[in-house]
Amino acid sequence: MAATLPVVAEDDAIAVLREATPFGEASPVVLSRIAALARPARYAAGERIYTAGDAADDIFIVASGRADHVFEPEVGAREPLKRVTRGGVFGWAGLLLGQTRRLATVTAVEPTEVLRIDTEALVALLESQPQEGGQVMARFAAMIRREFAVPELLAQVRRLSGPLTEEMSSLSLTMYRLSLWLKSPRPYLMLIGFALFLGIWYLAVEVWKLPRFREMPGLTTVVKEWFSPSPTYGLSLYTEEYYKHIVVSVWRVTQAFFLATVLGVTFGLLLGWSQRFREYVFPVFEMLRPIPILAWVPLAIVMFIATESAVIYLAFLASFYATALNTMLGVQSIDESYIRAASCLGASQKQVFRHVILPGALPFIFTGLQISIGVSWFSLVAAEMVSGQYGLGYVINTSYVMVRYPTIIIGMATLGLVGYTTSALVRLAGDYLMEWRVRELALAER
Amino acid sequence: MDMRPPPPATQTQGHLLIDDVVKVYDPEGAAVLAVDHCTLEIEPGEICMIVGPSGCGKTTLLNAVAGFHDITSGRILMDGEVLCSTDRPRSTPGPDRIVVFQNGALFPWKSNLENVIFGPVMQGKLGRREALDKGRAMMGDAGLSGVEHNYPGEVSSGMRRRVEIVRALMNDPKVLLLDEPYRALDSLTKSVMHEALLEIYYKNRVTIFFITHDLEEAIFLGHRVAIMTTRPCKPKKILTVDIPHPRDYSVLTSKRFRELIEETNDAVHEEALKAFQAGEKEG
Ligand SMILES: Nc1ncnc2c1ncn2[C@@H]1O[C@H](COP(=O)(O)OP(=O)(O)OP(=O)(O)O)[C@@H](O)[C@H]1O
Ligand SMILES: [Mg+2]
Repeated sequence: MAATLPVVAEDDAIAVLREATPFGEASPVVLSRIAALARPARYAAGERIYTAGDAADDIFIVASGRADHVFEPEVGAREPLKRVTRGGVFGWAGLLLGQTRRLATVTAVEPTEVLRIDTEALVALLESQPQEGGQVMARFAAMIRREFAVPELLAQVRRLSGPLTEEMSSLSLTMYRLSLWLKSPRPYLMLIGFALFLGIWYLAVEVWKLPRFREMPGLTTVVKEWFSPSPTYGLSLYTEEYYKHIVVSVWRVTQAFFLATVLGVTFGLLLGWSQRFREYVFPVFEMLRPIPILAWVPLAIVMFIATESAVIYLAFLASFYATALNTMLGVQSIDESYIRAASCLGASQKQVFRHVILPGALPFIFTGLQISIGVSWFSLVAAEMVSGQYGLGYVINTSYVMVRYPTIIIGMATLGLVGYTTSALVRLAGDYLMEWRVRELALAER
Repeated sequence: MDMRPPPPATQTQGHLLIDDVVKVYDPEGAAVLAVDHCTLEIEPGEICMIVGPSGCGKTTLLNAVAGFHDITSGRILMDGEVLCSTDRPRSTPGPDRIVVFQNGALFPWKSNLENVIFGPVMQGKLGRREALDKGRAMMGDAGLSGVEHNYPGEVSSGMRRRVEIVRALMNDPKVLLLDEPYRALDSLTKSVMHEALLEIYYKNRVTIFFITHDLEEAIFLGHRVAIMTTRPCKPKKILTVDIPHPRDYSVLTSKRFRELIEETNDAVHEEALKAFQAGEKEG
């Protein structure tokens, strides 16, 4: 039998836990609380630690020695045998959804010291710390899938419940994904990409003075102008004008986007839902859609006497098409069996619309909104360049006419930043409304 | 052959009579005869298994009962009440006959518990709170506690199937219509699901109309097994499984079970072969 001697002191226990994949990122406070749950145990070489089919009660973390972990064939693990050494974790079956029995047989190969933690006690502890607890569970899931090569279908960990985890909403999930992203190499590759882009710009224009690039404003000129309290051409971070242009453009896009969303989603839902409506309207819609926004400029100016509404109208138009079309596709993409299931369950036509059509179309609607916000900026700037007295498009156009080249670049860069922010906001709203999708994607680790 | 089903349970509701039903798809054009003068009577609380080759018209028959499409002629009665007939070719879908679909139709945007309470809440039969209580209790009974707040996409496909059956049972249906619910599952999960289904069934003895390809599954679960002909679909042979319920997995190795398989295997194989040859001709 396993001897339960105090072979490891508390500090050692923390050190062992820290080496274990699931606890690697846990804070010192949580680690010491987990360590307080751990009971040391020692097994002789050749001693059986547990057998597949036993009740899955404790989780084991190896402190020293070596053990062989052999899965039952039904588990379908790619590598049935896994050797665990210091920092290795096994006996996690109790953390899986609907799993109460051991999935493997574990035997000590050498004299082995382990820490044993009661699964339920650990879960209770993690539940009291929903933010960190959720991360530990996620790391368990990842470990089970990767290190133990257990098929995804089986390797689904329990969801922590409890008053606080209910609030572990899509927003905190998004935050969690953000923290994962920051730990991956991707953001750093992105930074290198930016550095290369700026570096080439700098070299091509200011150092090598390549033929076509010579006339362009250089990186340093633009940056100096942008950050200058008294800019040569009158526009920088320190001038009120700069913000006025941004505010005007953002406000116009907001109005256009809002209108396009309300009308586009309604119109798209109708198109998808009612065949009659679609037969009347869709051909006209398809005729008008390919007309480039710029072709509407003269008509818009004639139609709306005020330039402001003309500009908004143009920004609205392209957005509207994108939203309506995607919403319609979203409705049409909904599997017939969801609608049938709802009618079986006694839902009225109206309830089917509210509980099936609308949420079912939401992923497509948000794809539409992503496109919509992009084309909204695109057509806004085009419209501002033709008419208007303020706005980033106007800045770019007048700077060109008045030969203020650095200001053109400031306008363009600002557009890039503001445009990116707005589309990130749309994505965030989508994540918030479609928690189920965020979760599915998180499971697929995309 | 004894066409009368045995009296399986003390159930009084859920008598289903499919009477001389014909279904022709696209009568003006290709005129595919999917169901041909099919008659089948299912007793209250009976598990009736429908076995037949692929494309023979099983789903067509189920859809007619559920009210998803018209029948061409004949009639379907439940507890003596006409659901549909030649004059009124489409029955109205409703919570007394709930379908569990071939590919599963839990709403992925609702948590498992929200899915389970969908029926009673939509019909206004229960308040949200009562529905939640009942839903939790029923999920607990079916071994699903712990996944109430997960989305269907987060649990295994075996669990999804159980959630879907619980969602149906929340409405106290008279008949459950299952269309190959375990087709996509591996054999290990499948055997667990069979016992789970029986366990749920012993607690709520509803009539079960269960379509499958799998003869072992059919004989293991059913009071009777209707072996259908290849398209057009009608019962070729109806087998009464005289192994008493409640059953568990030991049945699979019993002598009687093997005998029943042997008795029916030929009929099933013959139809499958016909379907295959018909396919060859068409292709
Ligand atoms: N809407 C339709 N229009 C025309 N023919 C159809 C239609 N739906 C089904 N069919 C045909 O009717 C026949 C029966 O189809 P059904 O789906 O009922 O078969 P099934 O027995 O459920 O098959 P499976 O076991 O593959 O699910 C098939 O040959 C199919 O091609
Ligand atoms: Mg079918």
